[in-house]
Amino acid sequence: MNSRRVAVWVAAGLVFLGLICMGLRYRIYRVSRLASGDMLWRITYKAKFQAVRAGAKVRLSIPADTAHARVFRQDVLHSGLSAERLRSSRLFARELSLAAGRRGPHALTARFDVHISPEARWPARDAETPATPEARAAFLHATATIPVNDPVVQEALTRLRQDLAPNTNLVERIFRFCAREIQSGDDGAPHDVASALRGKRASPLGRAQTMVALCRAANVPARIVAGFHLGAAQEMPLSFWTEVLAGDRWTPYDPADGFAGALPHNVLPVRRGGVEIVRGSDLAELEISCSIVALPPGPGALRAGHGQPWAMFDLTRLPLEMHETLSVILLLPLGALVTAVFRTVVGIRTFGTFTPTLLALSFVYANWLTGLLTFAVVLTLGLLSRSLLDRLKLLMVPRLSVVLTLVVAWITFTVSVLDYFDLTPSAQAVILPMVILTMTIERFFLTSEEDSPAFALQLLAGTVVVGACCFAVLRWASVGRLVFTYPEVHFFTIAVLVLLGRYSGYRLTELWRFRELAGPRP
Amino acid sequence: MDLNVASWLSWVRPRALRRRGVLGLNERNAGFVLPGNPRAHYPRVDDKLLTKRLCEDHGIPVPQTYAVIERVGDIRGFQELVRTRLDFVIKPAKGAEGRGIVVVLEHNHTTYTTAGNVPLTLADLRYHLETTLSGLFSLGGQPDRAIIERRLVRHPIFERVAVNGTPDIRVLLYRAVPVMAMVRLPTRASRGRANLHQGAVAAGLHLGTGGTFGGVCHDRAASVHPDTGASIAGLEVPGWRELLLAAVKLADVLEMDYLGVDFVLDAELGPVVLEANARPGLAIQIANRRGLLPRLRFVEAAARGPLPLARRLELAAALAEMD
Repeated sequence: MNSRRVAVWVAAGLVFLGLICMGLRYRIYRVSRLASGDMLWRITYKAKFQAVRAGAKVRLSIPADTAHARVFRQDVLHSGLSAERLRSSRLFARELSLAAGRRGPHALTARFDVHISPEARWPARDAETPATPEARAAFLHATATIPVNDPVVQEALTRLRQDLAPNTNLVERIFRFCAREIQSGDDGAPHDVASALRGKRASPLGRAQTMVALCRAANVPARIVAGFHLGAAQEMPLSFWTEVLAGDRWTPYDPADGFAGALPHNVLPVRRGGVEIVRGSDLAELEISCSIVALPPGPGALRAGHGQPWAMFDLTRLPLEMHETLSVILLLPLGALVTAVFRTVVGIRTFGTFTPTLLALSFVYANWLTGLLTFAVVLTLGLLSRSLLDRLKLLMVPRLSVVLTLVVAWITFTVSVLDYFDLTPSAQAVILPMVILTMTIERFFLTSEEDSPAFALQLLAGTVVVGACCFAVLRWASVGRLVFTYPEVHFFTIAVLVLLGRYSGYRLTELWRFRELAGPRP
Repeated sequence: MDLNVASWLSWVRPRALRRRGVLGLNERNAGFVLPGNPRAHYPRVDDKLLTKRLCEDHGIPVPQTYAVIERVGDIRGFQELVRTRLDFVIKPAKGAEGRGIVVVLEHNHTTYTTAGNVPLTLADLRYHLETTLSGLFSLGGQPDRAIIERRLVRHPIFERVAVNGTPDIRVLLYRAVPVMAMVRLPTRASRGRANLHQGAVAAGLHLGTGGTFGGVCHDRAASVHPDTGASIAGLEVPGWRELLLAAVKLADVLEMDYLGVDFVLDAELGPVVLEANARPGLAIQIANRRGLLPRLRFVEAAARGPLPLARRLELAAALAEMD
């Protein structure tokens, strides 16, 4: 069998394999999607504020993943803010921090899609407990809202201690007191602990804070938790409860709804140790609204049950922080495919095989216009410095290293200049691949010296065209999600590449190059 | 480059090229280079020193090597190495596309005049040797060696059709049978180099006689040299049979199925092998105004096993009459 036929069979085999894998995965996803009782919810935060100065910080608490809930999609839309990386702290919760690039009004919308299941589908990630006495002390001290040392609190605690029945736990007693003996009031009822204890009436937040204060007064570490009760679509649906450190575990108590020890599966913690889910520094006129809506049934977070080894093949179970990076990495083969098509079918020549793909990759996270501007400026300055450098007659490796250093300098300087003129819309400056750029400058210079500047420009144009096409592919978010959900799509990619590798037809440019040969014989 | 709109619009249909048996780059790679040229034999053509040694061992004429500079330390002795030579050529051992070649026509031990009548100082040449050793001109940028060898003198037959340089003759062989040949004539535009995409003129050569017919410049038919106006058709390459024999022998030695061999016609020595190429370009088809495929298929059918040298030259002559 000749190798061309083998290649066709290999490609067909890969397509078959890809189809089988996709089919299996689709079936598993569909089955788990139909799991009864599972619900998908969308939580939306909207925040408006005035930044008092440039650099003002906004911090956004993000719904935590629990054994029953998992955030499977998140979008943060904002203007004039620069996102700092998502931070994950097991001691508190996940937090997204953003900085305002300028003074003045800003708006922010954050959307989180959450998959809730009555069964414990995901590995329980318990909140981390403080390991040292100092860390414990942080959950014992008094604050403005938790007046541990207030006489009213001390007095209430003393009374609770006195009528503590034998063999009962003081925390249980405090919980019973907050849940039953303090009357529930709506949001108009007092939030603060002292009024709650005096008037025996408080809002849900007031009751939760009272419990924290009493626990802390009894030298039991406790904290307030803000979260969502995903029951029905509602406006401003924040609930508050208390977490008490018992032994080495945080145990939830919800005086408002009467749950102790465990919360219903549809309660989702958002922030621990505080009540505001959006906060910041140097902000004024902060307005926050939250809403919860149920999403129609569709693919949720975790399709495969955890624990089974084949869950390893499900990338969507990975923490959200990794999703974006992995999606882009998974798109890279498609960029290579674009390059291969341009090489073998179109016949466009570029500087370096994967230079366009890597350039495109560096543009993905940033604004392409400023990226292109940076690229042009750095290339021009780099070429200028390279031709000045030519007079020094340096050996190759030191010379390339000088060019690399200059490229690094030009890139950082350009980023700084763009920022100075406020031309970097998202403050996500393009960090171009410096080594690639250095080699491009060197090759451009040599090609224009040895062949002709026109040929060098032709190669550069080819690089930019192929790079632009790679960029279009890498930026294709819906394809990124598809590849992320079904990574076996790359069986098809390899199949196409195998076929391309055996493509022996003319390149498009050859139809022009050999045009003289198509005429009548001489 | 020719940039008028009409020429850009004159694309042809693949079927038209297929009918004329034009070989494309993809088919060259997938059908001939990959299966026919074993990777392990590439150093034999990529390293010109190795090619030269193989040629010398098998009695194939190559320009005499004066010296080889292998280490940066050797550069110090360069002036002494060339003291007794009137003229010479410096060449990177692994250079590609004629890069890094310096032809010195004359010198007075301090100033060296190159082919373009550019005077270079000793320091200039030392720097050139250093960059050569550091791999600037080599394939893949690997460290390299510099060869100092005899300068070949242009044969008088090319007096009026080569400007600022020496023409070279490319013979394309498949399974050690010559299938097509051309001569590349440097022009002012190509700056004395014989590279077609830089503006050199190419003329097809008749495989049986070594006579030139119409040429091509910048991918367009040309019958006269653009600088001198002399006709490039009807020239007869002297020593054509020896040239073909040398090419065929070299193909046997290198064990490459699909091979380009470049010759220079020296006024004194006749055809001398300059280098061999494992991925010879396709412009030879434009120069000959013929597609390669029918000839390659013919050889494929005729040369299944090893053939005697004379039989292969007969096949080549038969190919010339094929179309």
